[in-house]
Amino acid sequence: MASLIRNVFLSLGRTNVCGLGIKETTNRVTYATALFANSTSGNKGLPDRGGRGSVGRRPRREPGEPRTEKMPLDQDWTSVYPSATSFKSNAVPLPVRMGYPVKRGVPPEKKGNLELVKIPNFLHLTPAAIKKHCEALKPFCTEWPSALDTDAKCDEHFPIKVESTDYVCAGPSVRNPSARIVHLKVKLSRFNLNDHARKKMLKLVGERYCKDSDILSITTDSCPLRQQNYEYAKYLLTVLYHESWKIEAWEAEKTAADMEEYSWEDSLSQKNMLDTLLRMKVAGEGEDADVRKQLLERKEVQDYKDSVVRLKNEGASESSMLQYKEAVRKVLNV
Amino acid sequence: ACHSEKHVGQFYTLPSAHVRPLFPNGLPWRFQHQTKTFNETCIMVRQPALEVISCLKKADYSQPALRYLFYGLKGSGKTLSLCHTVHFCYTQGWLVLHVPDAHLWVKNCKELLPSSYSSSRFDQPLQATTWLRNFKITNEPFLSKIKTKERYVWTKREATEAGSPLGELVDQGISRVKSSSDVVGAVMKELRLQSSQPGADFRMAVAVDGVNALWGRSTIKRQDKTAVDLEELTLVYNLRKLMKNDWSGGAIITTLSQTGSLYTPKSAYLPQELLGERGFDSVDPFIPVSVPNYSEKEFESCYLYYMDRNWLQHPQSRTEEGKKELIFLSNRNPSMLERLCGFL
Repeated sequence: MASLIRNVFLSLGRTNVCGLGIKETTNRVTYATALFANSTSGNKGLPDRGGRGSVGRRPRREPGEPRTEKMPLDQDWTSVYPSATSFKSNAVPLPVRMGYPVKRGVPPEKKGNLELVKIPNFLHLTPAAIKKHCEALKPFCTEWPSALDTDAKCDEHFPIKVESTDYVCAGPSVRNPSARIVHLKVKLSRFNLNDHARKKMLKLVGERYCKDSDILSITTDSCPLRQQNYEYAKYLLTVLYHESWKIEAWEAEKTAADMEEYSWEDSLSQKNMLDTLLRMKVAGEGEDADVRKQLLERKEVQDYKDSVVRLKNEGASESSMLQYKEAVRKVLNV
Repeated sequence: ACHSEKHVGQFYTLPSAHVRPLFPNGLPWRFQHQTKTFNETCIMVRQPALEVISCLKKADYSQPALRYLFYGLKGSGKTLSLCHTVHFCYTQGWLVLHVPDAHLWVKNCKELLPSSYSSSRFDQPLQATTWLRNFKITNEPFLSKIKTKERYVWTKREATEAGSPLGELVDQGISRVKSSSDVVGAVMKELRLQSSQPGADFRMAVAVDGVNALWGRSTIKRQDKTAVDLEELTLVYNLRKLMKNDWSGGAIITTLSQTGSLYTPKSAYLPQELLGERGFDSVDPFIPVSVPNYSEKEFESCYLYYMDRNWLQHPQSRTEEGKKELIFLSNRNPSMLERLCGFL
């Protein structure tokens, strides 16, 4: 039977290409024979070997149903994800979709989704897990003092707050260099500073002070150990306080450009206003200094002063401009 | 001139006999084209200008000069409000000292000469002569009435004697280009002194557009490429002296302008930002007058005016929807509206 098939193939090859040259026919012939050789060997092999193919093929098992199908609703989630692991789509029973949808489609599903695996997940930190952590830590803690039950009381008795972080790592070394950083936060209103001291302190401290919350925060990380950083932060606080109270000789050279806020006394604006009023000869004749003082105490001038101070300190805005306009009109009697 | 609150939103025409002498180049450029197209000069009566005019009417002129400052967003009508006020002053017979744009004096200077009067200052002959010519056209009647009080020496051979009419001084400046900036200074000084006199029979209105140029920065450079400080320019120096309110018998009306100003951000329009520290201190105390965009009524009026002049050719612009579109696109800003309607 094999030889019959062989003859049939050969004849087929020849009849098909009778019009062409001899070379083609020979090529066709070789091709046909090669094929034939393969198929005969394959035919012979199949009945011999049962389910297995050539070398390198393994049986392919069907994947079973994902674990999510078998999870009861009231299971203990903390045992499913006891520690930080990557996202396992067959262990998380949520129908999550993530990724950019193709046109007119939806984000791809979670099965086999690399995007969900790449991102950090907090499935090991559910409230139940946190509760368990707290319960485990409780034997090591002492009780919170009952007298300090409000934030205000805490601030009052303990104005300085020191923050530092501890890091736990299971690796070749348990040390973490970021554990040396110490943050020291304190409210400036607790300090006994007069006007000059406060301004000097603010200038010394610069960026570390937050105006809205009145908190001075000093962060130290220049020393290698946490205790050293803590001592350094305390030292900085002490030094700042004492230095801001001292008055140096060169501070007398403070110019108007250094001032934090605009003060109307001895300013150009006051001079202008007084000159204008004098020219208008509003007040009666009298000594220069007296007349000036009288003018300054008048209500319109006070209003004008408020509006100018507001303009300069707060910057320009429509409302402050209107206030200034009204004040000027009143002063100049327009 | 006798406008009042009732006339807000209505247009009034300036007689062309007034326009030629009063604004030789004082009106905004686009507005000048509009006047040529419509063959008439029409300004809308608006609240800010009315406010200043009423103050001018009530003011006491033996007191130091009051300073008014128009400020507002770009294109909201500050220059035209200034022109309205200036026209009012002109109709009342005042002497008008109008500086169309102070920014022109601090930038793009083609010729800079060291000053003949003071060696540390610089002159700008071109701008000075232009201004003197315009001044002459505007204030023809006053030129022969006012006499100089002092003697001014220009060069070894030329001098203007005390008691000669102002016209001669101005002519001197126009013909002798080299000393024109000093002539400007002299004119300003004379006028300032004379209007303060109790017996003066004229009042002076100083109108400066873009007053923030006087205290900003300049782009003029000397021969060796170092920047020139604004105090060193004669024109600016003299104008600053005029801005001080140590003279009486008149008013100072100014506008702020971001458009021509140098080194200011585009969104700045409040006086504090544009004048800067020094400028504010120099102009203080002044009355700031805000010039807002058109109100509903004013927008209506402007729209009807364009329709009346057949300026809106597009058929859709005449419908209600078209009007709503215009309101939306221009945000009722006068200059935006004008540009939009130009396309229609």
